[in-house]
Amino acid sequence: MPPSDVKEILQDWRDLWKEPYAALANRAESGERLLGYFCSYTPEEMLHAAGFTPVRIVGQQRNVDLADTHLQGYCCSLARTDLDMALAGDLAWLEGAVFVQTCDTMQRLSDIWRLNTGFAYHGDVVLPARLGDPLAERYLVEELRSFRTGLEKYAGAPVGDEALRESIRIYNRNRELLGRLYEMLAAGAGITGTEVLSCVMAGMWMRKEKHNELLEKLLAGLENQSAPVNGRLRLLISGSLCTTPEFTEMVEGMGALIADDDLCCGHRYIEGEAAEEGDPVVALARRLSERVICPAKHSPGVDRAAYLVDKAGRAGARGAIFFLQNFCDPHAFDFPWLRERLQQEGVAVLLLESQLQTPALGQMQTRVEAFLEMIRGA
Amino acid sequence: MMSGDAVERREIKSVADYQKLIADYYKSAKTAYKRDQKVAWITSGGPVELLHCFDIIPVYPENHGAMCGATRMAVELAEVAEGRGFSRDLCSYARADIGSAITKGGPIGGLPRPDMLVCCNNICGTVLKWYEELARFFDCPLFVMDTPFVRGEATPHAVGYVAAQMNEYISFLEQHTGMTFSEERFVEAATKSLQALTLWKEILACSEHKPAPMNCFDAFIHMAPIVTLRGTDEIITYYEGLLAEMRERVAEGISAVPEEKHRLLWDNIPIWYEMSDLFNLFASLSTCLVADTYTSAWTFDQIDISDPIRSFALAYTDIFLNVNLERMVDKAVSLAERYSADGMIMHSNRSCKPYSLGQYDNARAFTRRTGLPVLILEADHTDSRQYSQAQAEERIRAFIETL
Ligand code: SF4
Ligand code: SF4
Repeated sequence: MPPSDVKEILQDWRDLWKEPYAALANRAESGERLLGYFCSYTPEEMLHAAGFTPVRIVGQQRNVDLADTHLQGYCCSLARTDLDMALAGDLAWLEGAVFVQTCDTMQRLSDIWRLNTGFAYHGDVVLPARLGDPLAERYLVEELRSFRTGLEKYAGAPVGDEALRESIRIYNRNRELLGRLYEMLAAGAGITGTEVLSCVMAGMWMRKEKHNELLEKLLAGLENQSAPVNGRLRLLISGSLCTTPEFTEMVEGMGALIADDDLCCGHRYIEGEAAEEGDPVVALARRLSERVICPAKHSPGVDRAAYLVDKAGRAGARGAIFFLQNFCDPHAFDFPWLRERLQQEGVAVLLLESQLQTPALGQMQTRVEAFLEMIRGA
Repeated sequence: MMSGDAVERREIKSVADYQKLIADYYKSAKTAYKRDQKVAWITSGGPVELLHCFDIIPVYPENHGAMCGATRMAVELAEVAEGRGFSRDLCSYARADIGSAITKGGPIGGLPRPDMLVCCNNICGTVLKWYEELARFFDCPLFVMDTPFVRGEATPHAVGYVAAQMNEYISFLEQHTGMTFSEERFVEAATKSLQALTLWKEILACSEHKPAPMNCFDAFIHMAPIVTLRGTDEIITYYEGLLAEMRERVAEGISAVPEEKHRLLWDNIPIWYEMSDLFNLFASLSTCLVADTYTSAWTFDQIDISDPIRSFALAYTDIFLNVNLERMVDKAVSLAERYSADGMIMHSNRSCKPYSLGQYDNARAFTRRTGLPVLILEADHTDSRQYSQAQAEERIRAFIETL
């Protein structure tokens, strides 16, 4: 593939990240059945096997108006802007949404959404708070089975095991291809963190079949090009999600490279692999149960600090930026401990908190600049 | 001080017994190590009955958080946690408690060091993160009892999951105490717990009477034993005394608030640092807060002693904060009916998302179903920096005028 095509794909996906929703409205118009989701623990393969395209709703930079009569100002801006879009009719192209219980906010948002929006479908998956142990996994299998039953009822057709296995194969392939991009990124092979994140993000709004096809082309093209990224200050970013590319572009625009991430819409999304044989529901539950946990979950076997220290080491990152949403309890609770452990290992840490309603990019720029200078001077 | 005229407070006689009970309890918890007794920190909705079977003293950081709030010491402690990097937007119970663990500060010089931690997430996800932090801080074992959120009715697989964890919890306690589980002792503790829950329910029900013999401010104080001591003998004696006193008040027509004119419900955790000022304000407006959704959360009593593990699993899962919004409204509506309320005050508590997110919808649903008005007050249960007294007073006065 010629380099110009590589550029084109990356540009398209960056644009999609910047503004995903308009394109989705068009696709729904031409008959594609879209179901929204908010959390990377969503059993997307099931929705896919049932004939829907799962699409991630990631909030939006907008002035919240309608949602203010349902959610207090001390609720995170993802929940507030998501609800505001739904109430304003800006998500009318969705048939409905799936709520996976991660945090207290999502738990309540599901009810508020169900009671106040008129979508045809509403799904809940009550994820266990414990993950990675056999009791929780057994519960999760049953919960996914009952979720499947609800979905079948709505779809009016069974979601067979074979169809589910096929979807698992497609999603595994997707995770594998995206994983290769991360390897190239870590190796400094001609791609930036923003570009890799664009690839992950864009996939959340595409049919995975299509995404895989383009990813293969992209990888082939990238492997042929030899413009290594050198001399950049390597960073790790951690948090839930970056709704738009502006933040990582700003950071990388200052001569840094986001060499790896621990984002819910980044590397955490592609962690783990589901078995392609055996009971597909068990396979899905096991992947969710064993992948690295999100801070809203508890697993005695996973030490997130060790995980981040290791990630920083492998990426050669000298600094870590925590990009968190205001009022996001799970992430805020983990921060002091993670910061301490990273600093002990010589990784500098910067905390940035944002609200989608008032993204303070200018302010952040000054802080990132000072942070990079500090590392360079050290 | 609020401008409401100080009103003669009809002291509940049992307050003296209460103070002794709580003082004895904290004394024995703080000296447990001398008797080789283990201490477990446990969440307010945690299955405490099993700890009693293993002679473990339960200690409740949330109750401690409330004490820090009521003594207005929470802010100072929270600032210590904030200095460590904990966001000011996190639950102030957690911040105050973490601050107190670091400095040994607070009204009782910090809680006794835990030998183990028991966290049940039936109230919130905050406790999960808070207890993880405590486990790191004290370097001690943590047991997490995971109670899946309930929409409508608890699913059989959720109850099965929790029941299996009850057994795991028993093994955890055996391992850390070296004792063997005795089903007999469990049934005994469960029976006592049930007795206490029933007594507590009857005490609260006394306020269905007009005028109410007790108000929420009293209930907020007298609830501490039902949280911390259920399963023991002392609590039964104490609640029997309190119940007798309330029945006597009812018989003699003694009211909590002189000349009770208005009866209101309260939703959410109290504003601890404002308890006495708010009491005076409401009393001066002849208003009694007759019932609340908070203290009545400890009235689950559908326990089947013949199948204690499973029925405890269900009881601990199907608890007030762990259910969908419609069920929360059902509860408020039923309180309004039973207690002949004229309206409700909702404390929108920025510290507690599971209690507060959804309140705006709940308020509208409540009014739709009962025709009663609701006032929403923005505050925080222990962080007074988030509270404007003047504004709250003005709004309360205006609200009561419309009744
Ligand atoms: S995890 Fe954090 S950002 Fe995500 S919905 Fe919950 S509170 Fe909001
Ligand atoms: S978040 Fe709410 S339920 Fe949880 S500890 Fe804080 S006050 Fe209690």
